[in-house]
Amino acid sequence: MAAAQHPRVQIRSANNSALVWGGCSLGALLIVWFIVTSGIGLVAPRLLPSPSVLVERIFVLATTPFGGHDLFGHAVASLERWTFGVLAAIGLGLPLGVLFAWLPPVRAALTPAFELLRYIPPFAWVPIAILWFGASTLTQALVVFVAAFPACVINTQLGVSQVDKVLVQAARTLGAGSWTTLRKVVLPVAAHDAFTGIRIAVSNGWMALVGAELVVGKVGLGFLVSQGQANDSVATVFVGIIAIGLLGVLIDTGVRWLQRAALPWLTADASKA
Amino acid sequence: MSVWRREPSPVVAVAIGVGASLFFIAIWAWLTRDGGPVSSLLMPSPRAFMDALWRLLRRPYLGNPLYVHILSSLGVVLGGWLLAAIVGLPLGIAMAWWRRLRWIVFPVFQLVRPVPPLAWIPLAIIWLGIGPGARMSVVFVAALVPWVMNSMQAVVSIDPVLVQAARTLGASDRVVLSRVVARTALPTLIAGARIALGNAWTTLIAAELLAASSGLGYVALNASRTLDTDILLVAMAIIGILGALLSFTMQIVARILAPWSRREAA
Repeated sequence: MAAAQHPRVQIRSANNSALVWGGCSLGALLIVWFIVTSGIGLVAPRLLPSPSVLVERIFVLATTPFGGHDLFGHAVASLERWTFGVLAAIGLGLPLGVLFAWLPPVRAALTPAFELLRYIPPFAWVPIAILWFGASTLTQALVVFVAAFPACVINTQLGVSQVDKVLVQAARTLGAGSWTTLRKVVLPVAAHDAFTGIRIAVSNGWMALVGAELVVGKVGLGFLVSQGQANDSVATVFVGIIAIGLLGVLIDTGVRWLQRAALPWLTADASKA
Repeated sequence: MSVWRREPSPVVAVAIGVGASLFFIAIWAWLTRDGGPVSSLLMPSPRAFMDALWRLLRRPYLGNPLYVHILSSLGVVLGGWLLAAIVGLPLGIAMAWWRRLRWIVFPVFQLVRPVPPLAWIPLAIIWLGIGPGARMSVVFVAALVPWVMNSMQAVVSIDPVLVQAARTLGASDRVVLSRVVARTALPTLIAGARIALGNAWTTLIAAELLAASSGLGYVALNASRTLDTDILLVAMAIIGILGALLSFTMQIVARILAPWSRREAA
């Protein structure tokens, strides 16, 4: 579950030598790749495509259907399922997180069930999702939901429970009701942690979706990859993997941008996270 | 303050938790009763669940007794995780110690990191076939990133004053590494080990859905195909319990190895 929580290593002053060495490293990798595939043919084309074959394959997949859709069709299908699952996780997870922190008896009642389900990895839900929904969009959306939900709940709960008690008491003293206090004082402060949860949820969901699509479905980037494997087209597998990685980065960048746009009062904090 | 806003005492909290859980089980039993609204094909009753567990314990399923499936899963997970430790730990420490190595390796890592580990499964199948090798290599990839990142972070975040003090007192490179660096870095390292193990377990289950002839994920998928929902649910429960056990074991190890580290949220 904690896939997206590696500490980020900050390389202070990404100076020129770092760029030069990094560039050399990536360049060397490219050259080695070229040599072992096109150059001396050390690695069979069945196992590793040459750079030119890969680039060609990208164009082919982008323009002609493979497994029923072209690359964009698969990407759109994946994004659609992912959006369903993530929106459901956010829509249910954020209120539940607030509830857990704001009403301790509710937390006490639901914690055993929540913890029990949390330890079942999202992919373990794939077989039962197939049983319930067949090869429909709902199957993948459920897996995405399961992967994204706990991060939303846990981080929101953390955010709400860490709000300064003095702030809450001050609001109460000034005559604010429970609802007003929550809305005007607690939630604006807790929003930052909640957004961190959303960021983790979003990337967990993307990861889980790919896994679900590998197992079941007739469209999607994961399906593209598994079709590539079934047809012994390693270039297709690579194109799929690259598309999955790129979209993952784009999604994360998008959520960060959204966080800055939606919570301007926390921008200073947000840049730290 | 109303009763809803008050923190219940530990005893009351446990009582509420147990009560609510029993209530959920009762709802589950009521929904899945004979002639109830939920078909046993979609969700077995608690009774059928216990029966399936009993059956699995006594008779082999898919050619192997239950404990062989469990050992198969655990073996691949621990194998891949240890392999990742053997590669990742020295690599991460070396990357923190020698700037140039970090500059060389880090971009490659950044390139590979956004790809979910399980997206490599089809590639692993092409390269290694449907055997434990493919599964273990995917688990290895999933566990490698946290091992490397956390061991690098662990060393990078060491207070340079401590290192300089040791140097001033005449410590060699080797002594500084083993005496100062290794000890202050331990908590972050252990956290990395725990994340790595969690990732490894999650990824293994996905790998077992795709490339396996034994293991709990394989049992779950097969039970789904033969509509043995009760066995499927038992497999899911065992997967969850083992995942929790692995996580708790790591927390205990952390407390024994590095009792000075702050307790972190799970």
